[in-house]
Amino acid sequence: MFASTEVTTGIGNPQGIRKRPQDDAHTYMVCRTVRSGQRFKYPGNVVVMGDVHPGGEVIATGHVIVMGTLRGVVHAGAEGNDKAIVLAFRLQPTQLRIAGYITRAPDEGDKSLGEPEIACVHNEVVIIEKYRPGSEKRFLNRNMKQEEEEQNG
Amino acid sequence: MGEVIVITSGKGGVGKTTTTANLGAVLADMGKKVVLVDTDIGLRNLDVVMGLENRIVYDLIDVVEGRCRLKQALIKDKRFDNLYLLPANQTRDKTAVSRQQMIDLTSQLKEEYEFVLIDCPAGIEMGFKNAIAGAEKALVVTTPEVAAVRDADRIIGLLEAAEMEAPRLIINRLRPDMVRKGNMMNIDDMMEILAIDLIGVVPEDEYIVISTNRGEPAVLNKNSRAGKAYCNISRRLLGEEIPFLNWDQENSFMAKLRKLIGLG
Repeated sequence: MFASTEVTTGIGNPQGIRKRPQDDAHTYMVCRTVRSGQRFKYPGNVVVMGDVHPGGEVIATGHVIVMGTLRGVVHAGAEGNDKAIVLAFRLQPTQLRIAGYITRAPDEGDKSLGEPEIACVHNEVVIIEKYRPGSEKRFLNRNMKQEEEEQNG
Repeated sequence: MGEVIVITSGKGGVGKTTTTANLGAVLADMGKKVVLVDTDIGLRNLDVVMGLENRIVYDLIDVVEGRCRLKQALIKDKRFDNLYLLPANQTRDKTAVSRQQMIDLTSQLKEEYEFVLIDCPAGIEMGFKNAIAGAEKALVVTTPEVAAVRDADRIIGLLEAAEMEAPRLIINRLRPDMVRKGNMMNIDDMMEILAIDLIGVVPEDEYIVISTNRGEPAVLNKNSRAGKAYCNISRRLLGEEIPFLNWDQENSFMAKLRKLIGLG
């Protein structure tokens, strides 16, 4: 299942081009370490119960949460959802992508806080801030509001 | 029209990637337009050694499969303006490219760059065959170990069979003190076995470990002995005649002292 190429999860279309945001509501749990050369791609949200090592990739059309250290490449909102967030207990990605925005750590001396951090797109730049319990609602709520608005027309 | 040079060895861990990174850096520093191509698909390292890992968006596979333009995949080095890297893919394997695709790719690259340096994977299978497909010249890296020299001999045979221009030899990680004591193969032994032209000898240097871990070429440090050796190799590549350093000569303070008191 978790091969070096794309993963078939059995839920939805693994190549997953889903047009409506609410279709991203599926969440997949990766209960293992994502190692170098492994690429996890899922149409929806992804929660990694482990670390993402350098050279490993997690690509999701929705949010990505890493319950461990994120050192690899992560792409949230991969189909263009710039409301997607990336949350990790230790956020030290090689590269972080949200929708069409790509960032990387500065070349010199960026030491991570060692505590959970959250990344999101704000005013067309990816910002990273300390995660406080409950603070994710701000980001997740704006998603839900937008979905409601779209559903209500 | 540029030159396409493959850096290969057969055995792993002898310093192909380090050599590629350092030669690329020296040539770029001399004002040449250089592109480094990592063909070690699935086990890429050149990007890490160059410290460019976090800049990768597209890679060699994306280029050959037409998902992006060649220009989009090339990563500009952070220190040298005319040095570029084409990274390998990490999620696929060596079968993801064909020989013809590599030939097309290198011919496209050499139109724009003066030097196309190809970092070859270890082994003699598909990855090696792809790496040498588009190359005109080859540099064979070996260390003064019997196993590495055997593998280098095998590789030289394969390169000759592929009708490549006579490859040239780089002896890496030589320890002059051990050679002097007779505990390590000396240059002449290796030359006799391999019977190809020598282009340079790189001494064992702790700084290589430091620089590869930091992600910067050793040649940036003027005090690095290995860095100096790489500078000389690059200049020989450009056709300059540079005398080989005399490894038998010991320069340390202790050696001078020993000589002085008649023990040397």
